[in-house]
Amino acid sequence: MTPQEYILSGIVESYVLGLASPEDCAEFELMCDAHQEVRAARNAFELELEQSLLQQKMQPPRALKSRIFSEIGMEKDEQPPLIISGKPILIPRKGFARYVAAASLILLLGSVLLNLYLLNQYKRSIAQYKELAATQTQIAGDNQIRQTKLETYENALGHMKSPLMAIVKMPGAPSSPAPSSMATVYWNTESKEVYLLVNQLPMPVKDKQYQLWAIVDGRPVDAGIFDMDKDLSFVKLKTIPKAEAFAITLEKKGGSITPNMDAMYVMGKVTG
Amino acid sequence: MKARDDQAFSYLYDHYSGSLFSIILQIVKSPEVAADVLQEVFINIWRKIESFDPLRGRLFTWMLNISRNASIDMLRSKGYMNSRKNQEITDNVYGSDQVTQTNIDGIGLTKFLGKLKPEQRILIELAYLKGYTHEEIAQIEDIPLGTVKTRIRNALLQLRVYLK
Repeated sequence: MTPQEYILSGIVESYVLGLASPEDCAEFELMCDAHQEVRAARNAFELELEQSLLQQKMQPPRALKSRIFSEIGMEKDEQPPLIISGKPILIPRKGFARYVAAASLILLLGSVLLNLYLLNQYKRSIAQYKELAATQTQIAGDNQIRQTKLETYENALGHMKSPLMAIVKMPGAPSSPAPSSMATVYWNTESKEVYLLVNQLPMPVKDKQYQLWAIVDGRPVDAGIFDMDKDLSFVKLKTIPKAEAFAITLEKKGGSITPNMDAMYVMGKVTG
Repeated sequence: MKARDDQAFSYLYDHYSGSLFSIILQIVKSPEVAADVLQEVFINIWRKIESFDPLRGRLFTWMLNISRNASIDMLRSKGYMNSRKNQEITDNVYGSDQVTQTNIDGIGLTKFLGKLKPEQRILIELAYLKGYTHEEIAQIEDIPLGTVKTRIRNALLQLRVYLK
């Protein structure tokens, strides 16, 4: 069916007069939306109908108009009208639109503020997270250090506890630059490994290092150099198969072949 | 009008109440009842003006359909039926048909309906003035539904010729 045939089918008149079925009405409205000529046909019939019926008036009772207006007036009183120069002006629609506009602005503002708040929260959370992550890394690092230290201590303690260890205490020598110095040699009687525990020694100057000597048959034998910069000066030095005594001298960095006897800090004899 | 301006509404009443009253009268027959319906119609126009969609038709068409629907609702209301019953009793008592009945055959839509062929006229009266659905008319007149639709459409096309 072309729009022309559709128009001539009587649907226009049925629709306008309210005699079309709901389905036909829905279809007609779609056709109106789609075809300008259907819309034009509807409008043409509406005009004809209006002009024709406007010539077929019957006078309703005179009092009716004021009855209708007084009823409407009462309805208007129920809604608060704006009175300007005595003439009531109702603003339901415009006012409502204004309320809607105002409400949307408030909502928008609220949304913006909420977003800003959330953004700040987010930034703060990120900062807190970074801080926590840094702290965590630091703690892990510290833990690592403590772990290492603990292992060192445990290792040292293990050696000290060993029943195989011969302990050689070396108090400050009479001619020691620091008479209150003290160190202890732990000497494994089986493996002949030598460990040194520094009880008390002054920190050496920058270009000097302490050196341990084993006295074998009255002659000093290099038993190794050691640093003082560690927390626990319990260090494994050279393996010494045989010795009558041990002594520590302060030598130039890297150690010497023969000890500087003027700088002997401690000395102790091997007992038993 | 949509802003519910008093002056506009007053103009609307002055301009259209006569035509709408005529249509209402042709459906409910009694001027007293028609006045009540017209009052209801204008109050409804006032209340529902926001629902009027200019894209779907003219304001007059909208008001015309409100008027027709309100009239048919009145036709079917209990109060109207009782008043008609009383009317019939009164008519019988006084032996007159014209006590409150206004002769409306020569005016308004009825004037145009009178020009239709009787079989077309009865369909339009049942559909437009009594508000029966096509299905109900098919039952009343004992003709197929499709035929009812076609005949009503043809009758309307014919009616339109007379409207001019």
